[in-house]
Amino acid sequence: MTLRSCSHEKEVAELLSRGQWPQACAPELRAHISACRACGDLVLVTETFQRARADEAGAMIVTSPGALWWRAQLRRRNAAIEHVGRPLLGSQLFALAILLVLAAGFMVSQLRPGLPGLTWLEGLPLAHGLHLEVLWPSALFNSGWSLLALIPVLATLALLGGVALYLASEKR
Amino acid sequence: MPWESVIPSTFAGDAPQTADSPMDSDAFAGFYERSARSLWAYLARVSGDPALADDLMQESYLRYLSASRPGLHRCEGEVAGRRYLFRIATNLLRDHWRRPLSASIEEIAEEFLAASVNSAQADSQAMLKPALARMRPRDRQLLWLAHAEGYSHKEIAEVTGLARASIRLLLFRARRKMAHLLREQNPKGGER
Repeated sequence: MTLRSCSHEKEVAELLSRGQWPQACAPELRAHISACRACGDLVLVTETFQRARADEAGAMIVTSPGALWWRAQLRRRNAAIEHVGRPLLGSQLFALAILLVLAAGFMVSQLRPGLPGLTWLEGLPLAHGLHLEVLWPSALFNSGWSLLALIPVLATLALLGGVALYLASEKR
Repeated sequence: MPWESVIPSTFAGDAPQTADSPMDSDAFAGFYERSARSLWAYLARVSGDPALADDLMQESYLRYLSASRPGLHRCEGEVAGRRYLFRIATNLLRDHWRRPLSASIEEIAEEFLAASVNSAQADSQAMLKPALARMRPRDRQLLWLAHAEGYSHKEIAEVTGLARASIRLLLFRARRKMAHLLREQNPKGGER
């Protein structure tokens, strides 16, 4: 289908949009519309759609906009809460990751003396390479309550890491 | 920045307007009164389903109000707000058509099946509905926006997301097809 528009189309469209068709239409233009397919299509389709629009608009029952307004406010509020909660979740995950890394480091350092079932761990490059035991006082590991003392330290570190990350993301 | 300032105080007495809120409650009520009927007519005719039009209209207004477009209503005017609303509705319609159909006849409300229209509406529906049903959804949208809402090609491009250059040709084809279908149904009425 080729696009063959008519030079009178704009004029006809203006008449239709102003609601002046057919009363204010000049006889020559009316004669043209009855002969021109493009203009005839335009008039037929526009009239039909305008009538349908008027009918449909009358059929609709207008509900109170107040309920919609409050629902929108609730949705905005929930979105804002989610937005605020996102850095918190990130910091919790970060804290957990730090805790896991520190726990793994601690485990590797504790395996240095050698456990019968886990000697293969000593062969891992991580165990030799990290030397995490130098971070802690040697007396702490030699004593019986080393694990008991280490847990609060690890927890504090994880908490501080999480708080630092939360503050950083909150500023952003 | 305290978190309380981020969250809009919904349950406070008069729900003050937040910085990026498009409009306050009274302004929205006015905007709704002026735009709801035409939006519903667009959704109902293009989708062919008044119940769906109800749902999509509500969702359109909710998204319109929830959208963070500072100054949309205050600076750009109601015409732009209306166009933005139609754009949201068009996207919702598109999403609806993309979803697989799962409704059974039991799920359709009785009011939808009952004939609750007056004679003028019946004439209009008898004339347009079968013809619209034979058009593609995109053509229905284009025809409604151009001939019922009176939007220009540029505005239609903004609402539908189609390229402005292609609107003219698509609209020309859709109009020709629609005119042919209307004349086919009503040979006397279609003659000029």
